[in-house]
This record gives sequence, structure tokens and C-alpha cells, in this order.
Amino acid sequence: MMKLRQDLVLRKVGDDYIMVDPSQGMVDLSKVHTLNETAAWLWEQLADKDVSVKQVAELLCDRYDVSYEKAVEDAEALVQEFEKAGLLEA
Amino acid sequence: MEANTASELTNYYYEIAGLQLELRFPSALNLDHILPSFVGFRAEHSSGTSVAVVTFREDEVPSEEEWGTLRSDISLVWGDNFRFYEQEDAFVTLIKHKVKDKQWMMKSTKDFKESRIYGKAEDPRMGEFVSWLLMVVFGQVGLQHRLILIHASVIAYQQKQGVAFLGKSGTGKSTHSRLWLKHIPDTELLNDDNPVVRLEEDGKAMIYGTPWSGKTPCYKNKCVELKGFVRLEQAPLNRFTWKKGTESLVAVLPSCTALRWNKDLFNAMTDTLSQLVEQVNVGYLECLPDADAAKASHNAFFEEKVETGS
Repeated sequence: MMKLRQDLVLRKVGDDYIMVDPSQGMVDLSKVHTLNETAAWLWEQLADKDVSVKQVAELLCDRYDVSYEKAVEDAEALVQEFEKAGLLEA
Repeated sequence: MEANTASELTNYYYEIAGLQLELRFPSALNLDHILPSFVGFRAEHSSGTSVAVVTFREDEVPSEEEWGTLRSDISLVWGDNFRFYEQEDAFVTLIKHKVKDKQWMMKSTKDFKESRIYGKAEDPRMGEFVSWLLMVVFGQVGLQHRLILIHASVIAYQQKQGVAFLGKSGTGKSTHSRLWLKHIPDTELLNDDNPVVRLEEDGKAMIYGTPWSGKTPCYKNKCVELKGFVRLEQAPLNRFTWKKGTESLVAVLPSCTALRWNKDLFNAMTDTLSQLVEQVNVGYLECLPDADAAKASHNAFFEEKVETGS
């Protein structure tokens, strides 16, 4: 079961949704993740929930007028993106 | 009454960016001589609560086994002559020296509200080290009061509006301030290295002079409204661009001081910063070290846009 990292705080700056990720290395270079509106909305919905393709696809179907197949496609891409960016709990 | 005068401590109070800092140092020491850059910030009496208390007693620096987990030995803002260690309920800041006897060390509670400095009062560099350790304390404590200690050179324009120049060491922050002083009328240097920005109760962003100013002795106990930040980058031309949203935050973030391993302090910093960059203007200036560079940033902030062809 995968979860979103609890230590990251989603903030709105201007029109952007961002999360500042303090680097854990020796040098103080922080990473800033930017999310689009849909990803930011999903981030809020997924707090404390299991981050699975099924879960994300269902959320997308509830909110948007989209076929389940398309939603699964987008959900797969998003979960992969979250994982690649290190936004999921290890 | 014990007659142990050697261990008697005197309380000193300083007000920096509206926050009271309390030092407890041996009465035999003259703190105004040790910390000359702090004299202009000193208050005779306590006025309310101290946000941080720092005690110094001449003592051996505790041995290495007691320092904890090494967290960092380099900082973009603080250079590389120190080490930060983390313990279960404390942070240890160490100023390194080849000779063990000349090391300085500070042990702080995790919120930096209480710290104790260890070192030798006969060390000719005591003032420099204590001042630096106090900057570490103030920077972290300030975060809990919507205040950020930034690495910047800042000018006050017409005595009422401040512009802070940011950039990596050697980019020319100080040079850019000097160019303003020379070419823009009614300009004053407020601080050359470590000013403080603060979101006031009324939501206004202010920038304050501090007792820390790098190599330039410019320790002004005053503040002006913060008009904005400019990140500088050396270039073969002068070009100014405004930054919005994420880009504005990314432009300012590397110049802010917050210990990353303390989640609360780091989040307090990003909270304040996110609000700040919405309040003030953030620009990016590719620049030469010349008069036109100063005019470019001045015009961007203070000149009204002239419509061409009207």
C-alpha cells in the first residue's frame, strides 16, 4: 500500500500549487514541486488514503466527465509521476 | 549568598526586528566590547518576553561523542566553517578549528528558544563567533514569528521602501547596492548581508537592518517597507524580468535560512515565504556591474511605465 508523503505541505502561490521539499542531503538545496489544479485536488483527496491507480481513477471519474478507461490511463501516469518525483512514502 | 563572582551572569536585552533577544553572560565581560555591532540594538530593560535566551559560561566544549548525528557541514547561506549535529532533543552548532581548544559550540533546544554557548573568553575571535551563533539562533527563532533572515544586500529608497538583492556568493549583491548608492539619488544601504524580512500583524512586509552584515559594518536598527526582491545573475547584458507564482518563490527560497531537518521550522519558513512572494514583487536581473544595471532594477520598481506612442 502506497501513501502520499505526510511531511509535504501543499500551498497555493499566485496561480500555482506548490510543495517545497527540503533536501535531506548535506547541502541546503530544496526541491519545489509544482502541481496543476487536478493534481493538487487529487493530492488533497488522497491524504491518508491508499494511492492506487484504481483509487485515483475513481476520483477522476467522480469529478470529471471521463470514461473509466481514460481515467485509468491518466491515473497510471499520475501515480508514476508521484513515485518518480519522490512524493510517495517509502 | 555565595561569593562566587566568576560565575555571576548579567542579562542583556536586544531588540532585533521587533523581537527581544536575551543574553546571559558572565558579569566580568563587557558585552558591548565583545559585540560592537549589537550596541545599536541594545535595550536597557526587558520589555516583555524574550523570544530566545542565550547563555554563555566559560567551559570546555563537550567531547565529540556527545555531539549527535552530523546533519550538515556546508550551507549556501552560512559557508562551511561549521557543523550542525542533531540529538534527540537538541541541535548542536559547532564552529570548527584545528585546535580543539579554539572550537566554539552551541547547544540549543529544537525550537532554538534556549541555547548555551561553550568557548573560551580569551579567544580573540570570541565576538565574531558569538555573533555568528546568535545569527543562527535568531534566524531559527524568527521563523516562529513570521520573520525570515535572508542572505541579501538591501537598499532603502527614499527612506521608506526597501529592495533586497539576492544571489550566490560572488554574484555581486554588494556591488549592485553600491551602484544604486552611486547612481540613484536618495538611496541608503540598510544592510549588506543578513537583513530580516517580516510579515507584520497588519499583513505588511517590512525589511529590517540587523547586527549582522557580512564584511560591511552596516548595523542599522531601522526598517522600511519591503518593495521586493531581485535575484541577480552575472551576464554580458542588463535584462530585468518579473517572476510570478512558483518562479518567484524559487527565486527567493535559496536565500532564506531554515534548518531543513526541523519540519516545524522549515514549514514555518515556507509558509511565510509563500505569503511574502504574493505581497511583494520579485524580479530577476541578468546584469553587468555598471550604472545601467542599477537603473534597470530601479526603473522596474519605481518608475512608472511610459506608454510609447501616446
